[in-house]
Amino acid sequence: MTPSLTTDGPVRLRGERAAIIWGTIATVLVVVSTIGVFLVAPEDADQGIIQRIFYFHVAIAIASLVAYGVACVAGILYLRTRDRRWDDACEASIRIGLLFSVLVVITGSIWAKASWGTWWVWTDPRLVTYLIVVLIYVAYFVLRSSAEDDRKMRYSAIYAIAGFASVPLSFYSVRVAESFVHPVVFTGGGANMPTSMLTWFIMAQAAMVALFIALLEVDLLGRRSERALHMLTIRLERG
Amino acid sequence: MSGGAQYVVAAYAVIWFLLLAYVVVLGSRTARVGRRLEAITRVLDRREGRDGESGPPEDAA
Repeated sequence: MTPSLTTDGPVRLRGERAAIIWGTIATVLVVVSTIGVFLVAPEDADQGIIQRIFYFHVAIAIASLVAYGVACVAGILYLRTRDRRWDDACEASIRIGLLFSVLVVITGSIWAKASWGTWWVWTDPRLVTYLIVVLIYVAYFVLRSSAEDDRKMRYSAIYAIAGFASVPLSFYSVRVAESFVHPVVFTGGGANMPTSMLTWFIMAQAAMVALFIALLEVDLLGRRSERALHMLTIRLERG
Repeated sequence: MSGGAQYVVAAYAVIWFLLLAYVVVLGSRTARVGRRLEAITRVLDRREGRDGESGPPEDAA
């Protein structure tokens, strides 16, 4: 991919339009859902204002798992096609997924302190298994830095696919565990919350998924630009 | 602040701060690449202009 090089207009890159569109959608959804969560959604009778952490905490957690799922699919596609763009998508998804995971752990700890009086509960399966998922994906970058070129991309893709096996472990841990303190809001029977709360949770969820797509588009755009720039620099040096 | 409001403020402050920081990092990278692309475009344009004036370069060998 090479950018159009001319001084007649700005340099345009493939994917720029998609990044702008998704960035706009994400911004609008984040603003609307923030207003809804704080000004429209009713206050929880049991937890009070602390429950408002729930909307974005859970939405970001689900978005992080979506990011790891996208990385898994990108890993599979890389192994099938050996197209470097899928490796880019895989790494970018895991990077954004880890950012979301850090947010989940921090906001979860703040919520735990407010609700349970402690920052972390080591006996709770949801907290511990989610931390394991985070550490598995941190190790992805350790693995990536230990190999080069084709081997790096191949090993990374395989690891991203294998690492995704830890996601259902975290998701179902709280449902199969006998004792836990972490609440289960979504069960087989539906959501344990009134429609007035569920509406704003769905809005926050849409905002976080849109934000993930927007960040992914911008990240991939940056990678493509850097690669195109590198090729141009080489051509320029060769004269 | 009472009733746990400080925890809510802290949680959302962390969310917005980290997300904004990530966006700024991504944006600065894209801006840096854009500046370098413009610089290369100028060099190529200048070179093409010079080549146009003097005709095709002669083989030094």
